[in-house]
Amino acid sequence: MFIHWEVFYYVFILMTHMRSCCSWSVNNFLMTGPKAYLIYSSSVAAGAQSGIEECKYQFAWDRWNCPERALQLTTHSSLRSANREAAFVHAISSAGVMYTLTRNCSLGDFDNCGCDDSRNGQRGGYGWLWGGCSDNVGFSEAISKQFVDALETGQDARAAMNLHNNEAGRKAVKGTMQRTCKCHGVSGSCTTQTCWLQLPEFREVGNYLKEKYHRALKVDLLRGAGNSAANRGAITETFSSISRKELVHLEDSPDYCLENRTLGLPGTEGRECLKKGKNLSKWEKRSCKRLCGECGLVVEERKAEMVSSCNCKFHWCCAVKCEQCRKTVTKYFCVKKGSQRGRNESATIRRKSLRLKKH
Amino acid sequence: MAGAIIENMSTKKLVIVGVILLLFQAFAFMVGGLIAPSPTTAVDYLAVKCVGKASHRQETKWFMPWGSNQCDKIQSFDEAVAKRIEANDIVFAVHIPMSNNEMSPWFQFILVMLQFDIAFKMTNQIKDGAIVNLDVKLAYRDDMVSEWNEMARSFEKRKLHCNFTFPKTYVNDGRFYTCDVLPFMEVGSVAHKYYLLNIRLPVNERKKINLGIGDIKDIHLVGIHQNGGFTKVWFAMKSFLTPSILIIMIWYWRRISLMNRPPVLLEKVIFALGISMTFINIPVEWFSVGFNWTWMLLFGDIRQGIFYSMLLSFWIIFCGEHLMVQGEAAEHWRHRGVQLTNPFYSIWASDVGTELALSFIILAGICACLYFLFLCFMVFQVFRNISGKRTSLPALSKARRLHYEVNQGHWHWGGHTVQVNSAFFTGIYGMWNLYVFAIMFLYAPSHKHYGDEQSSGQCITGIDEGVKSGENIQLTTTVTHVDGPTELYRMMGKEAQE
Repeated sequence: MFIHWEVFYYVFILMTHMRSCCSWSVNNFLMTGPKAYLIYSSSVAAGAQSGIEECKYQFAWDRWNCPERALQLTTHSSLRSANREAAFVHAISSAGVMYTLTRNCSLGDFDNCGCDDSRNGQRGGYGWLWGGCSDNVGFSEAISKQFVDALETGQDARAAMNLHNNEAGRKAVKGTMQRTCKCHGVSGSCTTQTCWLQLPEFREVGNYLKEKYHRALKVDLLRGAGNSAANRGAITETFSSISRKELVHLEDSPDYCLENRTLGLPGTEGRECLKKGKNLSKWEKRSCKRLCGECGLVVEERKAEMVSSCNCKFHWCCAVKCEQCRKTVTKYFCVKKGSQRGRNESATIRRKSLRLKKH
Repeated sequence: MAGAIIENMSTKKLVIVGVILLLFQAFAFMVGGLIAPSPTTAVDYLAVKCVGKASHRQETKWFMPWGSNQCDKIQSFDEAVAKRIEANDIVFAVHIPMSNNEMSPWFQFILVMLQFDIAFKMTNQIKDGAIVNLDVKLAYRDDMVSEWNEMARSFEKRKLHCNFTFPKTYVNDGRFYTCDVLPFMEVGSVAHKYYLLNIRLPVNERKKINLGIGDIKDIHLVGIHQNGGFTKVWFAMKSFLTPSILIIMIWYWRRISLMNRPPVLLEKVIFALGISMTFINIPVEWFSVGFNWTWMLLFGDIRQGIFYSMLLSFWIIFCGEHLMVQGEAAEHWRHRGVQLTNPFYSIWASDVGTELALSFIILAGICACLYFLFLCFMVFQVFRNISGKRTSLPALSKARRLHYEVNQGHWHWGGHTVQVNSAFFTGIYGMWNLYVFAIMFLYAPSHKHYGDEQSSGQCITGIDEGVKSGENIQLTTTVTHVDGPTELYRMMGKEAQE
């Protein structure tokens, strides 16, 4: 469901770009005419989606678990939240866009990855012949900036916060890239050495941003009145003083335990949590306490039967020859106190949906 | 070499020469830092997964990753599972370079590195010492429309060096191994515009080929080539330096041959050093732009090797001479003094003298043994270094890593970008040339002494009659001061003559 939202959303952005292309595009990256945007749009949409998937993974055992309603990056209303979670969503989406663009550059999906803005100031083939192209990262950073930052049309504190967090997301991709070097001097000596940057797996970026999420900075700017020029100056000044690697939020997070229809929060009732298990991290082991106990809910144990493939013979690609195994697993869910009576009924529903999820 | 220019030059002139050399050195650094781009470029290619049924394998079908005639792609292997595509039907395709660019002979070489993205799976882990078998085909063409011509085809084996930095549990399923970059291919001359690589990882359960290599998600190829701009600057530098060194070499040899004695070893070595420098300098690489000479890389290595061995020989001989002179100076001068008054004096004549001379010889022998042992140790170290290179590279010492970090990229200075790497290369290259130039210039015989030599020769004719005999010169391997007739061996020679 959400995926569609995103795609439509980006297509919408694309259209606005196309309409305003002629006055607006003064940059080297996007050549001329609206066709240029179409090349990147599918990558941008896929990137945003991978960002959201990562968000769901990272927050699987938190009270707020990246629900779809919260993910509408911009509705042009002033109701959109400016809390820590919104900061993370912005950062991970913009990181996802940049990541996917970089990857697709390496696949050869685009005609000009970083070759148009040669650092020697020469365009096209001559720059490539003289000094090579700049790396794909710079290119994808610029493109993702074009696409994602264009969503912020306002000039208030919220817009400034979103732009800052978008930038933090892109910095996260850059920051987690790994430098690999190769020596190729005489008989492999290190007189000549060439280094390049490699994308990490996206999980790495997610982990990095999750850490930044825990250490997000709160900026108190919402109390300022109106949209006056002086106020705008104060906003820019405040944000420019904060490191661009850090996430920033303006509001405190609401109580995610409770359902809140106006904010589109589902609450933690009915959520699954983890309790026992050898290889769980501390954060995961405490998830039942966090999601259920501290929210005034109780943990309910449900047994579910799962069918999965097992005893597979694997090749490097494309698993072959598996057997189907059935096993019973215990799952834990948060339920309201005293509502365990209707349990059997709901449990069967759950079981079905679980089975659906696995396959 | 009392007659050398360096010994007859006034301090003022010496300082002037030094300043001029320094200026040239600074110029060499600036050529690299300001004009040239960085020496090499690395391009990251992510292999596109094409689907080609195994029955096509015998045919010469080429799979293009993009463009007008591109192959049937799959985005991920989950798609392959769904479509029931097998491992044997997947072809990894990489086009070098990326679209809208073309390769050029100015790039000199292409070095391709291989890196796997392998996901960890509890049920499908990488086995110890796993070996990947690659069925590789390389093709070229010179325009975008013609057919691909096969250039090479090979069945390659590469050992995987991967480790998993997280606990091996179900929780970490899907995270990637950290795999070392593997050497994949090296093309010694870039004669064509477009290259295409098609790689298969065939699975054969009976022959146990490509089993236990984990769950491969992607193949990265990193293509490294020398930048055209750097090549041009380098060639220009070579073309300028060749005549400079050649001229000073001819001048030097003319000076030597003008003297009325055959050249001594040190002079010969200096001349040889000049020759090996010229050998490096001669810009034969210009031909590589026009011809497809694949042995250019090797040739370059050999030339460099010859130069360095010549340089080391020169240093050994040079140091040997000077150490000998210093160590023996006091005793020599005493004997020389005696010899000046009494031509029949011989060190071997007195007991003390004999012992002294013998002790010198023994000392020299011990030094030679130590030197040999040291050499063996160095060779051993080199071997250990080469064999341990793979493991030691990621764990470079801090100092070295710092050096590389300084060494990595470019500095911004005002509006200019300084290519540190290139400056380093041109600077070092310029430095060796200046060094050889300076040695040849400063150690050439001074013309002031042509006359002196003869007159002083006449003065001491009585003493070193034998010096001019060829046999004696051969003995005086350690003579630095040609007209100082007091070397140990020379005395020995004299003794022998008498």
